[in-house]
Amino acid sequence: MSKLGVDLTIAFRSLVQHRRRTLFLGTAIAAVTTLLVLLNGLTTGVRETMIDTATTLSTGHVNVGGFFKVTAGQAAPVVTDYKRVIEVAKKTVPEMAFVVHRGRGWAKIVADTGSMQMGVTGIDVRSEPKFASVLQLVSGNIDDLAQPGTILIFDNQAEKLGVKVGDAVTISAPTTRGTNNTVDVRIVAIAHSLGLLSTWNSFIPIETLRKLYQFNQDSTGVVQIMLDRKDVDRKIPEISARLRQALEQAGWRVMPADPRAFWMKFQSVAREDWTGQKLDVTSWEDEISFMTWTLTSLRVLSIVLIVILIAIIIIGIMNTMWIAIRERTREIGTLRAIGMHRLGVLWMFLLESLMLGLFATLTGVAMGAAIAAGVNALHLHVPTGLQFFLMSPYLHISVHGSALFWSVFGITLVTVIAAFYPSLRAARLRPVVAMSHFG
Amino acid sequence: MKKTRNTRSTTLVAALLAGFAVASAVSGRAAAALTTPQMVDILKIVDDRQKNNGDWRASAYIEQKERDKVDVVYETEYYRRSSDQKFMILFLKPKSSAGQGYLRIDKNLWFYDPSVGKWERRTERERIGGTNSRRSDFDESRLAEEYDPTDEGEEKLGAYTAQKLLLKGKGGIDLAFPMIRIWIDKETKNVLKRQEYALSGRLLRTSYYPKWKKVHSESKGGDVYYPEEIRFYDEVEKANQTLVMIKAVDLKSLPANLFTKAWLESKSR
Repeated sequence: MSKLGVDLTIAFRSLVQHRRRTLFLGTAIAAVTTLLVLLNGLTTGVRETMIDTATTLSTGHVNVGGFFKVTAGQAAPVVTDYKRVIEVAKKTVPEMAFVVHRGRGWAKIVADTGSMQMGVTGIDVRSEPKFASVLQLVSGNIDDLAQPGTILIFDNQAEKLGVKVGDAVTISAPTTRGTNNTVDVRIVAIAHSLGLLSTWNSFIPIETLRKLYQFNQDSTGVVQIMLDRKDVDRKIPEISARLRQALEQAGWRVMPADPRAFWMKFQSVAREDWTGQKLDVTSWEDEISFMTWTLTSLRVLSIVLIVILIAIIIIGIMNTMWIAIRERTREIGTLRAIGMHRLGVLWMFLLESLMLGLFATLTGVAMGAAIAAGVNALHLHVPTGLQFFLMSPYLHISVHGSALFWSVFGITLVTVIAAFYPSLRAARLRPVVAMSHFG
Repeated sequence: MKKTRNTRSTTLVAALLAGFAVASAVSGRAAAALTTPQMVDILKIVDDRQKNNGDWRASAYIEQKERDKVDVVYETEYYRRSSDQKFMILFLKPKSSAGQGYLRIDKNLWFYDPSVGKWERRTERERIGGTNSRRSDFDESRLAEEYDPTDEGEEKLGAYTAQKLLLKGKGGIDLAFPMIRIWIDKETKNVLKRQEYALSGRLLRTSYYPKWKKVHSESKGGDVYYPEEIRFYDEVEKANQTLVMIKAVDLKSLPANLFTKAWLESKSR
C-alpha cells in the first residue's frame, strides 16, 4: 500500500473512531452545503427566469432599436429599413442563434367597462415558437395571434378591463405625426401574468401595429438578436460594440451606449436637435435595467448569507478541531515519540478534515440537488407579490453541475483551511508534553 | 283469419297516417324556416326602407343617463350622403361639446375636438360623444351588406309578430358590433328590437325602436323610414341608458364641401 493509501486509511479510521464528532460536524457541513446549493440555485433560477421571460416578452439578448424623429421634438421608437439592419447583424454577429423583429408602442386600450394605458408589442407569432412555450394561457389560443386585428393580454389586465376571450377592445395611440389613430382588436388569448414585464405589456400582430401607427412594411420597432446561452453572460458587451461599429460603417447614425430601457430615453432623445433615424444598440440587461435591482438585491442577500454560513463552518470546525486535538494530545505525543514528523501530524489532521469535508459536501450537494429537483417538479406557486419580481408564477431553482463542483470544492477548501491552524498547533506539540497530558 | 287480416290492414293504415302526419309536420316546420336568400331579402327590405339615395340632414337629441352622474343631453345635427356613404355629426349643445364632431370619409371615421384643434381617427366601436350610441345608429341601414343572417323563428313582441334573426358580421368590415340579434316586424319590416353582442357571446347593448316615421324622398322616388326614437340599454353597465330622438329630417341636397374637415373645423371658429 502506498504512503498516501496508508494516510487515507488512518484518516478514515480516525473519522470512524470518533463517530459522534464526525457525524455532528459532517451533518453541519452537509447542511451548510445544501443551503449554499439551494441559495445559489435560487439566484441562478431567478436570473435564468428573468432572462427567459425578458427575452421572450420585451428584449433580445442584444437589440438594435432606435428612434425616428419627424421633427426635432417628436421621437418614435421605430427602425426603418429593418431588413438591411438584420443583414448587417447577421454578418457581424456569428454568435447569433436567431433574430426576430418586433414593433414597439404605447397605447390606450379601451374596453366596454374600463380602459388602461399599456405597451403594445407587434409580433409575428409564427416566427417566434419560443413565445408560445414561455407563456401559460388562461384561455384562448396563441396561434390566433397570427390573424390580423387580434390581441393577447395578461390575466391581470383582463381583470382590470373586464374582458374575456372573444371580446373586442379598441387600441388608441398617436402616430409619429401626432394624429391619434385607433384600431379594434379581438382578444384571442389571455395569459398568466409574468410579473413586472407583463403588467404593462400586450401583444398584437405586427401588421395591426403598423396599421395603428401607419408604418410601412420596411419599418419595425426593434431587431432582437438571440445568442446561444453560453455567450449570454460573457460576450454581450463585445458583440454590442462590434455591432455598433458595423452599423456606423454601413451608414447609420448610432446613438452612444446608454444602459437604459428604450422608453426611458424618450425625453432625452426628444430634447436632442436632430431629425430622421438613429439606431440604438442595447443589451437585455439595459432593457430591463429598471428591474435588475431585484437580481442585485438577491445576489447581495445570497453573498451575505453565504459569508455567515462560511463563518459558522469555520468557527464550528476550528472549535471541533481544538476539542479533537485536546482529546488526542496523548495520541499525538505517542505518534511523535515513535518517529512521526511534525509535518506528518499536520498532514494527518488536514487529511482527516479534507476527507470529512469531501464526504459531507458531496452528501450536501446531493441533498441540495434532490431538494431543487423536488421543488421544480412540484411547480410550487409563489405569492402574487413575489411573482411581480420573479417574473414567473412558479419557484424555479436552477442547479448546474459547475455550481455543484464549486460548492464541493469551496466548502471542502474552507474546511481544510479552518482545520489548518489547530492542526499546526497539534503538530507543534512536544512529544514529552503531549504524552504526559491528561485530558 | 279474416279478423287477423283486418287488424293488420288497420294497423297499416294507422301507421301510414301517422307517417304522413309526421312528414307533414316536418315539411311544415321546414317551410316555416327561412332560407338564406329569404332572410337576405328581408334584410334588403329593411335596408331599402331606410335608404334615401340622396342627402340627409336631421337633428338628433341624445340623452345619456349614467349611474351616479348627472344626465346629459346633447343637441346635434347630422348629415349623410348615400352615394359615397359619407357621414357627419356635429355637436351643438351643451357648450362644452359644441363644435365637436365626427366625420366619416372613405370609410374612416374621424373625431374633431375644437378645444385641442386635433383630428383623431376612430373606429365604428366609438361611443358617440361618450354615450351608448354608435355612428351606425344614425346612418342608413346596411344589414344585408354587412351581416350574414341565421333564422331564429318568429316571436311575439307585444302586439307585433317579429321575425327574429341572428346576424354575424362579414369579415373585413369595420362594424360596431360583430353579432346582432334582431327582431323585425313581419308586417312592416321595421326593426323593433336589437341585441348587440361581442364575439365572445357577451351581450353588450339592447336597443328598442318604438317609433318609426316616414318622409318622402324625391331622390329615391318613395318614402324613407327612420326611427324617431331609439332607446339603448347598456348591458355591461346596467344602469346606463341612452335615448336618441331624431327630428327635423330634411332631404334637400347638401353643399358639396360639407363632408370635409375644413367645414367641421369652421363650425367652432
